[in-house]
Amino acid sequence: MSLLSRRSMLGGLSALGTSALCTSTLATSCGLFGKASAEVVKVGVINTFSGPFARWGEQTKQAIEVFQKQRGKTVKGSEIQIVYRDDGGADPARAKQLAEELALKEKVQFLAGFAFTPNALAAAEIATEAKLPTVIWNAATGIVTRKSPYFVRTSFTLPQDTAPVAAWAAKNGIKSVVTLVTDYAPGYDGEAAFTRVFKENGGEILESIRVPLPTTDFAPFFERVLEKKPNALFLFGPGGPSSVGMIGTWASRLKPADIQLITTTETQEIDLVKIGPAALDAIGSSHYPETSDNPLNVSLRKDLEALFGAKTIPDIATVATYDGMQLIYRAVEQLGPRPPPDAVMSLWKGAKLDSPRGPIEIDAQTRDIVQNVYLRRVKAQGDRLINVSFETIAAVKDPWKEWNPG
Amino acid sequence: MTAWITTLLDGLAYGMVLFIISVGLTITMGLMRIVNLAHGAFAMIGGYVAAVSIDHGLSWALAALLGSAAAGIAGGIAEIFLYRPLYRKGELAQMLLTFGLVFVVTGLLTLAFGVDFQRIPLPPSLSGEVSLGFRSYPLYRLFLIAVGALLAAGLWLGIDRSLYGARLRAAVDNPAMARGIGMNVDRLFTATFVFGCALAGFGGVVGSELLLIEPAYALKHLVTFLVVVVVGGHASFKGSFAAALLIGSVETFGKFYLPSLAPYVSFLLVLVLLLWRPHGVLPAKSLS
Amino acid sequence: MIARLTPWLLALGFYFAFAEQLALGTNVLVMILLTLSLDLCLGRAGILTLGQSAFFGMGAYVAGIVALRVTEDPLIGLAVATLASAALGALTGALILHTEGAALLMLTLALSALLEEFANHATAWTGGADGLQGMKLAPLLGTFRFDLFKHTAYLYSLAVLLVWFLVTQIVIVSPFGRSIDGIRQSPARMRAIGTPVWWRRLCVYTLSAAMAGSAGALSAQTTRFVGLTTLSVLVSGTAVVMLVLGGTRRRYGAFLGAAVYVLVQDYAAQINPFHWMLIVGILLMLTVLFLEGGLASLPEALLRVRRRESKR
Repeated sequence: MSLLSRRSMLGGLSALGTSALCTSTLATSCGLFGKASAEVVKVGVINTFSGPFARWGEQTKQAIEVFQKQRGKTVKGSEIQIVYRDDGGADPARAKQLAEELALKEKVQFLAGFAFTPNALAAAEIATEAKLPTVIWNAATGIVTRKSPYFVRTSFTLPQDTAPVAAWAAKNGIKSVVTLVTDYAPGYDGEAAFTRVFKENGGEILESIRVPLPTTDFAPFFERVLEKKPNALFLFGPGGPSSVGMIGTWASRLKPADIQLITTTETQEIDLVKIGPAALDAIGSSHYPETSDNPLNVSLRKDLEALFGAKTIPDIATVATYDGMQLIYRAVEQLGPRPPPDAVMSLWKGAKLDSPRGPIEIDAQTRDIVQNVYLRRVKAQGDRLINVSFETIAAVKDPWKEWNPG
Repeated sequence: MTAWITTLLDGLAYGMVLFIISVGLTITMGLMRIVNLAHGAFAMIGGYVAAVSIDHGLSWALAALLGSAAAGIAGGIAEIFLYRPLYRKGELAQMLLTFGLVFVVTGLLTLAFGVDFQRIPLPPSLSGEVSLGFRSYPLYRLFLIAVGALLAAGLWLGIDRSLYGARLRAAVDNPAMARGIGMNVDRLFTATFVFGCALAGFGGVVGSELLLIEPAYALKHLVTFLVVVVVGGHASFKGSFAAALLIGSVETFGKFYLPSLAPYVSFLLVLVLLLWRPHGVLPAKSLS
Repeated sequence: MIARLTPWLLALGFYFAFAEQLALGTNVLVMILLTLSLDLCLGRAGILTLGQSAFFGMGAYVAGIVALRVTEDPLIGLAVATLASAALGALTGALILHTEGAALLMLTLALSALLEEFANHATAWTGGADGLQGMKLAPLLGTFRFDLFKHTAYLYSLAVLLVWFLVTQIVIVSPFGRSIDGIRQSPARMRAIGTPVWWRRLCVYTLSAAMAGSAGALSAQTTRFVGLTTLSVLVSGTAVVMLVLGGTRRRYGAFLGAAVYVLVQDYAAQINPFHWMLIVGILLMLTVLFLEGGLASLPEALLRVRRRESKR
């Protein structure tokens, strides 16, 4: 190809590019004045799609695809478009920057996601200033929904899952407990919630151990627990590989000494596959019973397997996303493709939903989630490990808000 | 009293895992003197290959062998095409290339296996507890202690005290001279690198119950591997052995007796050791 | 002359042409400053370090704490943060700079990790894992308000970058700077001619720490947020990557490397959040294997290729 034709090709391409740029600029500016013909509703999703905690982003994406397969991609003629952004993990500065970009450049109508509390807290300012109705799909610290009047949560709070099992333990023969949590903010949350409720119900905390986040070998910590000889061990970890180490060590060193394991979401079914038989008889306290025969749950599991393979298991982020999408679709359905933000919030406050996990409600005052909490034990079913519920505590509100009146 | 003994065993086992996984780095970074930040990537390759082998029904031993072989082969390919051009380009270039390699391997493995971590289930012969009289203790940890000791002895005899080791040290110290007396330096380097990476793969498989195989493995544990090698003394097997056991034991005792101070203990230990002995606690004598 | 001013003209052009992307632009400027600090320490003085994040984070937290507890004036916050990081640099440098090579590298890593762990625990001051939030900034020089669109933040960062750039340029051409170059090439020779090597290295290390601290302060002030990630080893590693990518010891190497890395990462993460690591890794390896001087040497490399072709 001679230089001349290369130059003209380049020239042609740049002309094409420039005209495309002009056209799109024109289109966008028309949109600014509300003259756009196709009403696309943009939902900005900031979640973790890479790095050690990419499982949260993966669950979110799976849930959205199943949801849009079930309910379609349009609501009353408006297309619901999802704009994904990766925060890479607990990186509040990046999350804030992404929220700004979604608000100012992409001009989304809704914001959603946030696997990590610090990320959600950082984006709160943007949500408030840009008046963006935001659904929190994962972050689990009590204070999150207080940080912006446009925040609503469909996931859970740690105290919400922890308080019921602490009360149950104290009333069911467990007199002494050692708590072992990971040394970071969510761990302190879990430790505080369990300690408070357990003591309120007459129990005794023998020791509170905090384990550094990068720990790989948990043995010496568990030996320390063994020394104290409690009736039970309350565990909180960051999930993933740490759960294998923590629960495995419990099974090999503490279970033979009759020390019961109490966890919250460490024994979700999705992790049981990897943790293996070491988890048998562990007690978990969770807002999502994976084997529930609730029709929404059954169809969710079926569609997940159809789209992503027979080994796909839904988890807490999956259902939170699913329900978050329900909220968004409801808003567009009732208020149109450019819903006034304050009208959306009024719609969402007090909203009741049927979720794959059971009935849920968005509290009208706190904008936080109210849901059932299920106590369960890990049991074997054939060659699978599942959670079998033995008690349900209905309509649990986030206790943190009561303990810390704003 | 018995808690003390258990903690000692735990510390030794943990130290052994550190040694087994890091000793390959003693070879590539220490003996061959290249800054190799991608060591964890080869350990990962070994782990993933082993996990896949077990999924297909192979025995644990065979899976471990395949994992090591795969890591070794990957190492060989990397040495010829990526590392060799960098021997003369300096530490910074090596640091950057190997860092890029970690990203690439992490990205590829995530593409192939997804974002979740892997388990390499132990064979029945290595799982469960063994009675020590005063209590039962995991067999796996005793296995780690045994393997670590054997490996240390084998490497010390096989490299430090052998003709091969002498040739290697000569070739690294003065490649031109070595070539001049007829050594095939290129082949020696490639073979050694392959061995170092195969050891990394082996370490990845054997240590997978403590350091789980996951996409973030290579970056997450990078500092750990480097610390063992540098604190031990670059090219010294005795050094890395001593360093690994020292770090493992101190950290484990720290966790048992002072759990709230545990994270500071290991970093302070490294700080103190490096300031006291910048060339490593047991540096190899051949280094200038 | 125009060539020398190009990056600054581009930066100003960006301000007008991409008014909706100023958050990204400000981030690029902050990263350029961080990379520039590393060029001084690693590129010119040859001090192998993966601990630059300690100074970046220190600057960020100090700026945040000053804004929350003392005064909302951004310039005072910047000054205090820079001084604090310089002090940290002097202290830690005095402790470890007698070592070299891998030992020095590990020491910088260990110190950085210690600081991160400390910040995680000192929740009353740092907010722990949740980070420092809610800081407000008074208008710059009493008139320029920090707005949501980052207009002031961008120009403020650009100004700070310019000041530090001029400082480094002056240092580099000074006799002090020349001696640093010599120390990098052969400390033994420099000692032989009587240069106080350890002191010079300490000075460079401290100056570099001050710069990184300013970068951290800017990051805190422009995003109004400080998290534990500012202290992580990944920040240091990324800075090294950006530096070598752009080219060490080149006037605008740091600029090029930081800009390319941040923009590629942002773009690649948008296309496919799962796999940007692969793209960046390949880019790195290609640069190291084929472009020894980093991207800043690309024009020369191309010229060499063209000259070779024309000779055939």
